[in-house]
Amino acid sequence: MGQIIIQGFLLSGLYALIAVGFTMIFSVGRVLNLAYGVYIMLGGYVYFVAVQMMSLPKVPSFLFAALAGVIFGLLTYQLLVKRLQSDPIAVEIATLILAVVMQAAIIVIFSPSPRSMWPLVPGVIYVYDVAVLKNILLATVVSWVVLGGLMVFVRKTHTGRAIRAVSMDPKGAVISGIDPQRINLITWGLSGALGAIAGVFFATYTQLDPGMWVFPLITAVAVVIVGGIGSIVGSLIAAHIIGFMETITTTLIAAELRGVFTMLLIIFVLVVAPKGLFGKAEL
Amino acid sequence: MTDLLEVRDLTKTFGGLSAVKNLSFCVSEGETVGLIGPNGAGKTTIFNLIMNEFRPDSGEIFFKGEAISRYPTHERVKLGIARTYQVPRPFSEMTVGENIRVGMLPDNLWKMVTEETEEALEIEIGRSVGFDDHQIAQQPSELAMGDLRRLELARTLAIQPSLLLLDEVFAGLTLGEIDQISELLVERKKYGLTYVMVSHDLRSMAPLVDRVIAVSFGEIITEGTFDEVVNNKIVQEAYLGQ
Amino acid sequence: MCLLPLVVSTGTLRIFIFANFLAIFAMSWDILSGRTGYISFGHPFLIGIAGYTTAMLTYHLGWPLYTTIPIAVVATMIGGTLFFLPALRTRGTYFALVTLAFMEVMYHSMQVVQPKLTGGTRGLSGLPTLVSGAIPNYYLSFLVMFAIGVGLWLLIRTRLGIALDAIRMDEDAVRSSGLNTTRLKLFAFMVSAMVAGIGGALYIHYLGSIAPRGIFEINFLFTILVAALLGGAGSIVGPIIGAFFLTFLLELLRPYIPGAARYLIYGVIALVLYYYAPKGIYSFVELLRIRLTGLSQAKKND
Repeated sequence: MGQIIIQGFLLSGLYALIAVGFTMIFSVGRVLNLAYGVYIMLGGYVYFVAVQMMSLPKVPSFLFAALAGVIFGLLTYQLLVKRLQSDPIAVEIATLILAVVMQAAIIVIFSPSPRSMWPLVPGVIYVYDVAVLKNILLATVVSWVVLGGLMVFVRKTHTGRAIRAVSMDPKGAVISGIDPQRINLITWGLSGALGAIAGVFFATYTQLDPGMWVFPLITAVAVVIVGGIGSIVGSLIAAHIIGFMETITTTLIAAELRGVFTMLLIIFVLVVAPKGLFGKAEL
Repeated sequence: MTDLLEVRDLTKTFGGLSAVKNLSFCVSEGETVGLIGPNGAGKTTIFNLIMNEFRPDSGEIFFKGEAISRYPTHERVKLGIARTYQVPRPFSEMTVGENIRVGMLPDNLWKMVTEETEEALEIEIGRSVGFDDHQIAQQPSELAMGDLRRLELARTLAIQPSLLLLDEVFAGLTLGEIDQISELLVERKKYGLTYVMVSHDLRSMAPLVDRVIAVSFGEIITEGTFDEVVNNKIVQEAYLGQ
Repeated sequence: MCLLPLVVSTGTLRIFIFANFLAIFAMSWDILSGRTGYISFGHPFLIGIAGYTTAMLTYHLGWPLYTTIPIAVVATMIGGTLFFLPALRTRGTYFALVTLAFMEVMYHSMQVVQPKLTGGTRGLSGLPTLVSGAIPNYYLSFLVMFAIGVGLWLLIRTRLGIALDAIRMDEDAVRSSGLNTTRLKLFAFMVSAMVAGIGGALYIHYLGSIAPRGIFEINFLFTILVAALLGGAGSIVGPIIGAFFLTFLLELLRPYIPGAARYLIYGVIALVLYYYAPKGIYSFVELLRIRLTGLSQAKKND
């Protein structure tokens, strides 16, 4: 029982990070980046290559993975999205195709079979008599630190405030002299970094798999739908609900049914409370 | 005269800002009303609330005696309210005629599938706002602002509303285009169209409205005839304060 | 097209059969997503419902095909509506992801839930076929594809077609015109589900087997989407053109690309084509037609 509570809590932190990285692009650019899951996948694979194949030390490898995310995020925006921006549907489709391409690329480079990743920090620590993987604990700590850093960035720095301005009122922001292209670039790069960081941990939690980009995407969407748009508190709470329920489902019922609860929750929320728990607007 | 529209104690806040505060007014059938006020006074918000683009925090809206606050947008339109937008929103990939056709659609799947388009009526509506046959086949991207506004009007008139909400219908128009639209509205008024008009162009509004309501900071400052309101000291201060 | 079997080999005929089915699936996708703009990633899900329903009924209960196929179609419409209706109430953007979620979850669930009924990971095989042999299957698939194409074309020509197109352009404006967009979207969805159901049930009985892999798969979704988009979304002919174009493109490239890299190359081609021509092949055809008729108009006026 204690196991479930603690595991659930830890997983939720990671999910919160994943969700925030995703919604960032939606708030600022008003487009859906379906290739977001690819950042997560990239983060995992890059770290894997660095540490397990090239035997590089862990911390630089981790940063390297984050960098890969940033670069990929920037490239996605610059080469693909920028031209199609005016048509959100086109962006959805293009980013989906990109994700499929990346999945295929990973299959070509690495083979379709899943691979396990070594935990970043091996071993177990005891919290209230419950055995907790140090790796997962690290994941949660890092997630919260990053989220905290993001909050500070968005509130205190000039660029951060510019990002908020664009997400609240794109036209007004332009009039205030903010360059939307620059902001978009920064946001996409940031989203890439967040995704990649989350990806390194996510891969250690599950497995490396060319199809692993879909699930985090769904989780991110679930968090937004359940928590509501425009509410960070809502996202955090939703991430915890989902994290807990998933832990319960996979521990007590069956591991393969991991996404089923999330899916049912999405349907339930859409039927009963389309704005989500704290949503300020209907989807 | 019966009240066509009644707005009672309407309140709407966004974040910490009161866009509309305990606002109440009525519009009678056949009346034409002007809604004026400085920027941010809440005029467009009122329209949005009437059309269900937002839900009010409190208050009620009555149309033809029915309480419509819980009705979704399309139900309100079917009852007889329609609006135009400050920035025209035509259907970009359709011709003028097709745009009007959408306004004419019945909200009934069976009818949509089985009944033919009444092209004659469509052309007539287009002509009634001043489009010639050539323009009816054009795309919105080929039209000037004045024509786009006429298209908005044509589409809304195709819905056959009892009450029309006009949001800055003169914005961005040349004097000639303004005259065209004014003529159109005057003519419709003769046929009994009721409308509420938001506009910054007070001079153009003057001959088109029976009554004027002035709002500022989400509240009504005063109501009366055009001359009464425009010459009212408080109203002038509210505008000057801008 | 009717005389085709006389001219080509069985192998080529089978390619045509696949193209016919892909065309059916692409049209099914397009009538909802291409038209209303609500991009659905859940079509494999719908096809899966149809396929599994008819497979399970024939495999376990031995019911005849003329019973199981209609049941499968109805099951697809009902099942699809149950899951998709809540999603339809969201804006188009989230609809896409919710449908993707369904598909992903189905893939995992089908392997685990009641494997005795569903055949688990390996699925069910040895299913009865409607007709045997390449030639009859070709005629059957072509006929069905043609009938569906005509049926959809007639439907879209009505005022309903304009309403659905308008939703894609500006859904709020459609509501402001007094139309219940949720009901319209639902109708489009049910038509889409019905077509997907017909295609799915018939396809499974052509193949004679069904398994989670290959149905609830991103690659399958990808193929359907690209077929519709490349051909020209939002039209009836577009998806058909796209399906044939894509099928033959894939066949052409097949010998040159090793298995693993196949989807990579297809994906890159699709991405590039989509980037430069988001409106698809059909839009080029339309443009050509307008230019040509424009020319002939000019000649008339002279």
